[in-house]
Amino acid sequence: MKKTVHDLIPLRCLTPGQMAQIGAIVGDPNQAHRLAELGLRHGAEIEMVRGGSPCVLRMGGQQLCFRHTAGLDVLVRPAGAL
Amino acid sequence: MHATKDPAKSITVALIGNPNTGKSTLFNSLAGVRQHVGNYPGATVEKKIGQFTIAGQPFDLVDLPGTYSLAPRSPDEMVTVDALLGRLAEEPAPDVVVCVLDASRLQQNLYLFSQVLELGRPTVLVLNKMDLAEAQGTSVDVAGLSSRLGVPVVAMQAHRKLGLETLRQTIQQAVEQPARAGESPFPEVFRREVADLQAALKPAAAESLPRYLIERLLLDSGGWLEQAGLPGVDNGAMQQVRQARARLAEAGYPVPAVEAMARYDWAARTLDGLVKTSETPSRSGSDRLDGILMHRFWGSLIFALLMTLVFQAIFIGAEPLMEGIEDGIGWLGQRLDYVLPEGVLRSLLQDGVLAGVGAVLVFLPQILILFVFIAVLEDCGYMARAAYLMDRLMSRIGLSGKSFIPLLSSFACAIPGIMAARVIEDRRDRLTTMLIAPLMTCGARLPVYTLLIAAFIPAHRVLGGWIGLQGLTLLAMYVLGLLVAVLAAFVLKRTLLRGETPPFLMELPSYQWPSPATVVRRVSENGWSFLRGAGTLIFTVSVLVWAAAYFPRDPAVEAEVRSGYAPQIEALQQRAVELAEGGEDGDSAARVELEQERAELKATISRHVAGAYMEHSYLARAGRVIEPAVEPLGWDWRIGCAVIASFPAREVVVSTLGVIYHLGEGQDERSESLRDTLRGATWPGTDRRVFNIPVALSLMVFYALCAQCAATLAIMRHETGTWRWPLLTFTYMTVLAYAGAWLTYHIGMQF
Repeated sequence: MKKTVHDLIPLRCLTPGQMAQIGAIVGDPNQAHRLAELGLRHGAEIEMVRGGSPCVLRMGGQQLCFRHTAGLDVLVRPAGAL
Repeated sequence: MHATKDPAKSITVALIGNPNTGKSTLFNSLAGVRQHVGNYPGATVEKKIGQFTIAGQPFDLVDLPGTYSLAPRSPDEMVTVDALLGRLAEEPAPDVVVCVLDASRLQQNLYLFSQVLELGRPTVLVLNKMDLAEAQGTSVDVAGLSSRLGVPVVAMQAHRKLGLETLRQTIQQAVEQPARAGESPFPEVFRREVADLQAALKPAAAESLPRYLIERLLLDSGGWLEQAGLPGVDNGAMQQVRQARARLAEAGYPVPAVEAMARYDWAARTLDGLVKTSETPSRSGSDRLDGILMHRFWGSLIFALLMTLVFQAIFIGAEPLMEGIEDGIGWLGQRLDYVLPEGVLRSLLQDGVLAGVGAVLVFLPQILILFVFIAVLEDCGYMARAAYLMDRLMSRIGLSGKSFIPLLSSFACAIPGIMAARVIEDRRDRLTTMLIAPLMTCGARLPVYTLLIAAFIPAHRVLGGWIGLQGLTLLAMYVLGLLVAVLAAFVLKRTLLRGETPPFLMELPSYQWPSPATVVRRVSENGWSFLRGAGTLIFTVSVLVWAAAYFPRDPAVEAEVRSGYAPQIEALQQRAVELAEGGEDGDSAARVELEQERAELKATISRHVAGAYMEHSYLARAGRVIEPAVEPLGWDWRIGCAVIASFPAREVVVSTLGVIYHLGEGQDERSESLRDTLRGATWPGTDRRVFNIPVALSLMVFYALCAQCAATLAIMRHETGTWRWPLLTFTYMTVLAYAGAWLTYHIGMQF
């Protein structure tokens, strides 16, 4: 299985019901750290529940509401692309 | 409330955990009614302390705010860390730390627990919501987890009080265990840097910093902690910290990312083989509910209906209660008429003390009603959904969905609105919300608008007869407040409260039935918090304004008014004498008429005496002093005076106008005579009318934008812990109000 950066798409491109793994969080490391404290981090498995902004994600038994902010990109690898 | 106890022997237990883990339920189960709320100095964090005893041994239970991480980035977050480390003055270090984890989100929750372990205090892990975890197909090997962590683990269902007794025993046993420095989950190279820094900082510091804070200093590349005034942390030390960060980045462990890596790796290692999850988690009832409640259309519709209900309840439901309080206060005041002679004491008690108590109590119904709704919605998990629905709208003005309910509540009254802003974690968002909340058109502005609109705005119909001009004016005042609030939020977020917007990530807790005990406790806590925090100040301001309007009370003022009426009194007496001379069979109708005239004259004189006293009071002097300032707004000194008098509460302006325009006390906004008097009032010595439409509009605009509400400022002081924010609010709103009133008057005079 080849994993390249080309597999990564922005989180907001996921459609509801689609599963993905977080491939990278690009942007200010302090902001990324805040997301990591709530579990949104490299390697985490997520499911897009509701698209749009803010979106709703399911992650390990909990649901999170997330708004995309400028200067921080969450890139994911959709489950189908693995 | 305190049991008699030897403070030296009391054992302190700190309670910490992620939000939505059932921590508050657990706190209430352990402490019962033996709890009280205070404040940590310099922070807006509430200090909740509960007491309980195990086998005669008293325990103090400290409830720390729910948090995902012990990484301080603000004074509030620092308080939590300091409390756990025992670095707060006059606060003992906790003898035991109880960390509450949600069993259904164990791996995620272990992040905070790994930080707690590093603090080196005796620790108890509470695995709460075991039933929910099982329902989701997750089972945890509790004994295995305990032996792997070397920490007692108690499985619980706090909302059913299951496991409570075991927890009590475990806490008691944990006290006996020696504190041990928790094992660091960080890689070797990071630990070495921490040890080197600790050694380097030691000689400089009077008290040596705990290892955990050294780690934090190294990890906090955002730079908050280096300004937090930690002992020994100076430029030289920060130089070393920066060098250490550079070396760590070189070694492939960049800060702060290394922390998440290390802790989640540790969590995964810890749980390896101890947690079993069934492969297919079924779609739960919670998800089905979300399908409706979070739906863009149906969810928004339900939310709108719910908010209408909340708003109606605060606005209309509180009305009879508030009237009841006012009537009760009024009745007590009337009793005083019989008990006390007229004079300074009676006036102080009636118009100072009782009015002050009334001014405080009258807010309680709205506060309590709002918090019943908030507590229920929060406890059942709906609040996060509401924030989700409103986030799209609120993010446009730089706030998050969490600001919506505080701001909406402020349309009834800014006080519960400002108190409701506590739910906003982000400090800048919370302050912005509090600072713009008083611009929402609250219930206290309505009497002012009603009086002035009814008196001066013609009841024309516009737009083809569909809308009345009076209603349109009222609507315009609501819209004005809202627009200025949006602008103020925009400006505040770009100037004073500027800063990087943290990414908005909010947990949506599973739905559950609200617990009546939690709701009752939340509501009563907020009621007390208001009475304690703002009540005394509102009361004081009321008494001070009474004194300003009462004194100096020179008797010559009254004598002068009475002498002015001497001819009329004489004429009446003359007629009485004539009637008496008319003999026994004198005209009884004439007698009745005479009595009526006498009573009317007496009432007129006493109204004029009250008005004259007001004109000679310190308040009036203040009104005259500010007259040059309010004249550009088209106001005379009497309006200026009424505006000053309304500082305890906006609606007071109506009754003050009543007294100052010689109508006597007890005038309200529906009073016809007050309307007529205002229409007829002239500038002293001329027949130029004081009020016209531009003046009325300028006064309304002033009240739409001003912060003439001591209660709002007092609660803001209470909630932020400093006078800085209420003073800022008062200043910016008064400036806006003045500018708005000036513009309105001058534009109005062009037509």
